[in-house]
Amino acid sequence: MAIAVLALVGAFIGLYLTLYKLGVIGTLACSTIGNCETVQLSRWSTLLGVPVATWGVGYWVSVLAIAMAGLQERWAESPGLSLALCLLTGWGLLFSAWLTYLELYVIHAICIWCVTSAVLATLVFVLAFLDWRETGPARAG
Amino acid sequence: MVKSSKSRSNSAFYILLGVVAVAGIGALIFLSSRPREARSASPIDPTLPPVQSEGYVIGSATAPVEVTEFADFECPACERFASITEPDVRGRLVNTGTIRMRFIDYPLPMHHNTWNASRAAACANAQGKFWEMHDLIYANQDRWNGEATSNPDKVLKEIARQVPGLDQAKLDACVDSKEMQAKIQAHYNIAQQRQIGVTPTFYIGNTKFEGALSYDEFKKQVDIAAAAAPKSAPATGAESPAKGATPAAGKTKK
Repeated sequence: MAIAVLALVGAFIGLYLTLYKLGVIGTLACSTIGNCETVQLSRWSTLLGVPVATWGVGYWVSVLAIAMAGLQERWAESPGLSLALCLLTGWGLLFSAWLTYLELYVIHAICIWCVTSAVLATLVFVLAFLDWRETGPARAG
Repeated sequence: MVKSSKSRSNSAFYILLGVVAVAGIGALIFLSSRPREARSASPIDPTLPPVQSEGYVIGSATAPVEVTEFADFECPACERFASITEPDVRGRLVNTGTIRMRFIDYPLPMHHNTWNASRAAACANAQGKFWEMHDLIYANQDRWNGEATSNPDKVLKEIARQVPGLDQAKLDACVDSKEMQAKIQAHYNIAQQRQIGVTPTFYIGNTKFEGALSYDEFKKQVDIAAAAAPKSAPATGAESPAKGATPAAGKTKK
């Protein structure tokens, strides 16, 4: 359940940054720490022609969908679902770590929204891993 | 996802999810409806010397408002402005004599190939083809940028072949010789002197705007600058480069 709530928050952050990239939002609300626009206007803010924030929306919606599916009666006992969530959030964590590395050592600017998203990705992975360890391997074995 | 508590607290969970959803939508609406110019607009320091003949100008010398754009050819936001907003700006404001635009290079250090693009554009300018090259450079940004190639001059020369009437051999020689380096450095220095922090940055009238403006916002600011412009003067603002900015401007004034 916590994963679903965190994923929804992550999806809204991604949506916000996507709206900025599309020009719907003129300036980013950013704390005094770092420089959101430097990060969002850098060349690393797009991947394969699509804003990284939009990929983020896709990621968080996928996590939300799997987490919600896990709450349904028919899939509640599915070890495969726990494993899928664990793998997906693990990949998300690695991707977030790479983005954070780019901010710190390549772009030399910090985007507080990106950092928040990275923290969410870490929390979600920890929760998914604990859930999988509790139910997944035991059932699979 | 804690399965043991799932059946007991499903209702509370859905309520919490609903609250987060409503709060998120509300926050997005609030943030997207904030006035765009509130943070990005600031008055131009009147003690700075005017931008004079630097940069590249398009539009009528007698247009009442001059807009100066400080931009980086490799910057994604500049590309967005050039591709999405600028066609409307040219068609509705430049071509109608409402404004003229001045482009000043500000090649940012983080962009590996942006100096190459600025030099290629300056070489096209030597043949009177700056704006054609400007548009093509932005339209093909994904082909020559730092991620796409380690030989940007080769790609930029290929792109230049699409400019009608351009002497390709002359352009190639100009690009290879880097003879425009000093010109771009001069433009860079102008931007540095004005402490330009974001690309694109626009000077419209007496106000500086950071970031890519939408057409509606751009037009609104032009209208404000035009209303404030003295009727007899060809341009507005303390920074206005219009007075003698180009040979044409000097000749046509009054």
